[in-house]
Amino acid sequence: MNELKYTEILTKNRELGKSLTGPVYQIAVLSNIVVNQLSDILEFELRRQGINAKVVFGEYNNIVQDSSRFKDSNAVILFWEAANLTEGLQSQAESMDASSLSALIEHTQNEIELVLNNLQHVPLVLFNTFSSLLFTANELKDGKFSLLSKKLKSNMADRIASHQLPIDLDKIIAKVGLGASTDFRQYQSSKALYSIEFLKTYVDTVTPAFRAVTGMGRKVLVLDCDNTLWGGILGEDGENGIQIGDGTRSGKVFREIQHILRGFLKQGILLALCSKNNPEDVNHILSGHSDMVLTDSDIVAKKVNWNDKVTNLRELANELNLGLESFVFIDDSQFEIGLVEKELPQVKCIKVPEVLSNYPEVLRSLEREFFSFNRTAEDADKTKMYQQEWKRNSESTKFTSTEDYLRSLNLQINVQWNEAVLTPRAAQLTQKTNQFNFTTKRYTEGDIQRMINDKNYLVASFSVNDKYGDYGITGLLISKLNGSMANIDTFLMSCRVIGRNIEIVFFDYVIEKLKSVGIKDIESEYIPTAKNQQVATFYSSRGLNADPEKGKKFVYRINLKDYKFSDINYIGIAHNG
Amino acid sequence: MVNLNERIKNVMGAVFEIDPKMITDTASPGDVEKWDSLRHMNLVLALEDEFKVRFPDEVTENLISLKLIELSLNELLPKKD
Repeated sequence: MNELKYTEILTKNRELGKSLTGPVYQIAVLSNIVVNQLSDILEFELRRQGINAKVVFGEYNNIVQDSSRFKDSNAVILFWEAANLTEGLQSQAESMDASSLSALIEHTQNEIELVLNNLQHVPLVLFNTFSSLLFTANELKDGKFSLLSKKLKSNMADRIASHQLPIDLDKIIAKVGLGASTDFRQYQSSKALYSIEFLKTYVDTVTPAFRAVTGMGRKVLVLDCDNTLWGGILGEDGENGIQIGDGTRSGKVFREIQHILRGFLKQGILLALCSKNNPEDVNHILSGHSDMVLTDSDIVAKKVNWNDKVTNLRELANELNLGLESFVFIDDSQFEIGLVEKELPQVKCIKVPEVLSNYPEVLRSLEREFFSFNRTAEDADKTKMYQQEWKRNSESTKFTSTEDYLRSLNLQINVQWNEAVLTPRAAQLTQKTNQFNFTTKRYTEGDIQRMINDKNYLVASFSVNDKYGDYGITGLLISKLNGSMANIDTFLMSCRVIGRNIEIVFFDYVIEKLKSVGIKDIESEYIPTAKNQQVATFYSSRGLNADPEKGKKFVYRINLKDYKFSDINYIGIAHNG
Repeated sequence: MVNLNERIKNVMGAVFEIDPKMITDTASPGDVEKWDSLRHMNLVLALEDEFKVRFPDEVTENLISLKLIELSLNELLPKKD
């Protein structure tokens, strides 16, 4: 964001604020330091990415009380400055005696505990780590203030929960530079410390976390081949002429690039190719070039042809069943980058730097764009799973009817009721699923855990497999029981298994189950968002009756004796209860 | 090229959320509703970011009218021939 001046940010943010609609995403900033310029910079960056953000500030130096006041925010950022724990601590700490210092540390640790506890249901908490970097100059020996900051930093790291994120201020300060990060002119009088440049970099750093928690996380890295994955042009230089490996200086760089990409794979990042080349040539390289680090099985999907890249990226998104907003695209050609940026602004585009030795650093810094919370077993095998999806979608063209195709898949649903070990995945599904999701309620692991333990809730998660493999846990239904009435609080399904009539067979099964525990009526809701139109007609198609429309949600009901089960017979169902 | 006076008005307009055309040469914290101490800090930072200058500490407090801002900037900006 450093290309934009603060004045431009202010003006554009106000324009965006007027044009964006939809629910407001409230971010509360709690601080013992003045960072009021953060509001426009953060709002602007999130708003231009489609998140209708509104930043509010707690009272100055009132973090503990405010953590309870703002516990219903969508996100909370903690700017808790070690230097301001008490007035002038950055200098006074050095002459404090050991017992006052340890009392201060203990007091602050108790406050941290209280704050994290108050914020436990906030879906996203960014907690800046305590840092003494701005105030300590002695590289040879840590002073008392440094030791205090380190102690608080490690204590906070121990206590922070999985959906709460420590933001390492030292790294951000290093990136901006010590001098450029601060503006001491306002520090004594107004308790402002950070420069505009620091705040812009801070926002760039944390934005991927906001994307992840609002279901817009980046997932796929799409790469060009020539001069992006290897040096030279395959079609002209031939297999032995391209630079990859130790023989040449640029070959070494591209080899490192491929090693970094291999590391990305282990993080659950999907790699795809989009290249103007002869498909046979590229396949041949991927299947056995001795210097290549990446091989065919590392690539989730390929578009190697002579079509334009915008068309290819659109097709990749369709075939992988992922939104284009989850794509990052790398190419060495400014023409291709320009075209994609213009036509598909939701795709993040990166050009291979002119100075090739900078390329590994550029690629490494991309990793945070793919930030995702709780890595689960599903993530480790992502490439394989999406490869299967890609093959399925290519195969579906061979069948004359969808029904025939689905029948050939041997689909099987496995339902788990109130299964505690699946809590992290269930929470992740509520955080990430946007399309097939009737109510889009976001829950933390703690929330799910509570519902599993509460006898008035039934929590059903399900996995799906077919002849190509296992899709993992891909669906969740939470119903709240109230006498003979059940309310469907949450019903969602990952986009990986959409389009297979799984939802119908699963819903039939849930109705059977509810009947068996004495439920006579159900009530369900559809809360429209920008992304979930595809479920708008589901409940009426299953014969549920819509209440008269009121407000922004639709309510459906049915007496279970009137429910008509479907006649789909090609999907099996198994369950644990 | 937009002149200095207009560029300052644009910055002030963005910071104080008013139409730059409504800003007079004598505009001051007394007659601009949103010109409080927090916004004054934003104004200083926005001006510095816009003109790539850094006001000396004692000057920041004195930037309390369009005329004064213009004078201070003229001293800091490279002289034209």
